[in-house]
Formats: sequence, C-alpha cells, structure tokens
Amino acid sequence: MLRQKYEDVIAQTSVRIMVPFVQLYALYVLAHGHYSPGGGFQGGVILAAALVLIFLVYGYDDALDRLSLGTAGRLCSIGVLIYAGIGFICLLLGGNFLDYSRLVSILHVAPPKARSLGILGIETGVALTVMAAMYSIIMDVANSETNNNKGDTAADENQTGEICSSGK
Amino acid sequence: MKSFFLAVDIFLCLMVFLCLYRVVFGPTLGDRIVATGAIGTKTLTILVIIGFLYGRVEMFLDISLSYALLNFIGTLAASKYFEAKREI
Amino acid sequence: MLMRDIIAIIMILIGCFFFLTSVIGLLRFPDMFTRMHATGKCDTLAVLMIMAGLIVHHGINLDSFKMLLILVFIYIANPTATHVLSRAAFRLGVQPWTKDKK
Repeated sequence: MLRQKYEDVIAQTSVRIMVPFVQLYALYVLAHGHYSPGGGFQGGVILAAALVLIFLVYGYDDALDRLSLGTAGRLCSIGVLIYAGIGFICLLLGGNFLDYSRLVSILHVAPPKARSLGILGIETGVALTVMAAMYSIIMDVANSETNNNKGDTAADENQTGEICSSGK
Repeated sequence: MKSFFLAVDIFLCLMVFLCLYRVVFGPTLGDRIVATGAIGTKTLTILVIIGFLYGRVEMFLDISLSYALLNFIGTLAASKYFEAKREI
Repeated sequence: MLMRDIIAIIMILIGCFFFLTSVIGLLRFPDMFTRMHATGKCDTLAVLMIMAGLIVHHGINLDSFKMLLILVFIYIANPTATHVLSRAAFRLGVQPWTKDKK
C-alpha cells in the first residue's frame, strides 16, 4: 500500500503544479552558495525532495519510470567523477590538488573568477551525488517487504483504527 | 517600526508555545500532526520578520521557503504512512 | 511613506488576530476534524495577510517577489496537506463528534 498510487485528485494536481518550481528553486540554492545559505548539499537535498514528492503521490512504479535505480547509481558516480576530475585537472596543469588558480590557462579569465567557477563546478558534482544517493535510499527502504507488512491494505475495511481513536 | 516587528515576533512565539500543549497532550495522533504543521507555519513567519529586524531579508527568505517545503512533505509522508499501516 | 507604513501595520495586525483565532480553535475544539478545520483555514489566511503587509512595507523589489513566491506556495500547500491528513483519518474510521454524543 505504501508503494501504490495515492488516488486523490487534489494531491496529484497540486504536486504536478509544484514539482518544476521546486527543482528550479534547488538550482537557485545551488548557484547562490557563496552568498546565501545553500551550496551543493542543500541543493541536492531539495532536488531529491522533488523526486520524493512524485514518489509519495504517484506511486513507486511511476517514480521508477522517471529515474531508474541504475541511472541513479550512475549519476552518483558521475558526481564524484566531476569533483575528482576538476581536482586532477588542476594537478595536471601544474598546481596542487584543487588549486583553482591554475584553471586560468583553460578558461582565460582572472584568477578570482577562476576560483569561483571551480567551486561552482565541484558544488554541482556534490549536488548530483547527494540527489542520487538520497533517492536510492528512499526507494530501497520503500521496496523492502518483510512478513509483517505483506499484503497490508487499509482501504476497504470498516474497523476503527487504533491510532486515531481517543478511547471512547 | 522595528519595535513593532519585535512585539509581533514575541506574540508569535507565545502562539507557538500554546500550540505545544496540543502536541504534548493531544489525545489522538492526528492532533499532534496538525499541531506540528501549525508550528511550522508560525515558525516561517517568525523567520521572515527576523530577517527584517536584522536587515538581511533575502537570506532569511530562502531559509523560510525551504522550511515550508519540508513541512509540506513531512505532513504528506506521515499521513500516507498512517493510512497504510494499521498499527503504530 | 507614512501611508504605506500604516497600511502595512494594519495588515500585520489583522494577520496576528487570525493567528490568535487559529490557536484558540486548536485548543478549544472538541474533535480532531474541527481542529483541522481551524488550523487549515486560519493559519493560511494569517500568513497571507502578514506577507502582504511586509510586501507593502518593503516596496517593489526582488525580495518582494520572493515573498510573493512564498505566499503562493503556502496558499497551495497548506490546504492540500490538511485535506490529505483528514482523508487518512476518515479512511481509518475515526468517528466525527456529534452534539448528542457529549
């Protein structure tokens, strides 16, 4: 029952309106990391929150259609590759690991601008990894089916639930 | 103007403390979830007014928008979970 | 300037009044469904009023546009969350409070 669709028009419509704006807000948080609270990890979490909204309202299979678990694993690795890749490019150009001032020979800008762009690049990698990791964790937890909750439906029974009654 | 904002802030903090009574002593589970949502809404208003008090408006606006989003997702997840499971 | 400040103060005071009403309803109503009624409606309107007052106080700005965005998000999300919660409680079989039940 946790993996099925939530059969409610109001929740589905409002989530359908809301999800693109949440993703745009996550990109804004990612880009403004140097000035406001934000950065890589916070932007990745808000991106994952948009996917979790789709999973809660549209069900497990629809969310898996949009981003499969294999693709999430590959996105995780690509994020780490971007982070380490920028570090190794700085190493190859003659500086230390993650020494952004050496990037001026590729980008042809002033050194402070090169440092700013280098930090933006690694924050993008962090955001991709965090989004893919959180999405995989939630999908794995939802998929686990033990003997306690196999075949658990609450939709069409007429008993009083234990948790919401006040003992009358 | 700033002392008026401070008075509104203190009043809203008092409202949050009154909502805590329903979180602690609410007889059913649904009471507690509703009161937590109400505390979240009042908190985000307090955050925006604190932003006006300190002069950095845009920073506190970003924080309050993230908190509104998490409040909404928390309520959705909790209600879907308790509809599926029949026990706590 | 002074007119704008007066309008902003009036709207913020109306918002605080609606917050007070919502908390009184949350504490004094007899049933879970009625408490959800009070919180879902009055809280949303109170946040709308306070945000509108702060927009009038701050002027036409980028920050005012972000406050408009928060306002629209709360306007959509808060009633949806209340609806989903009350639907879950109803499906679980919670009986509403009626007058002759005491």
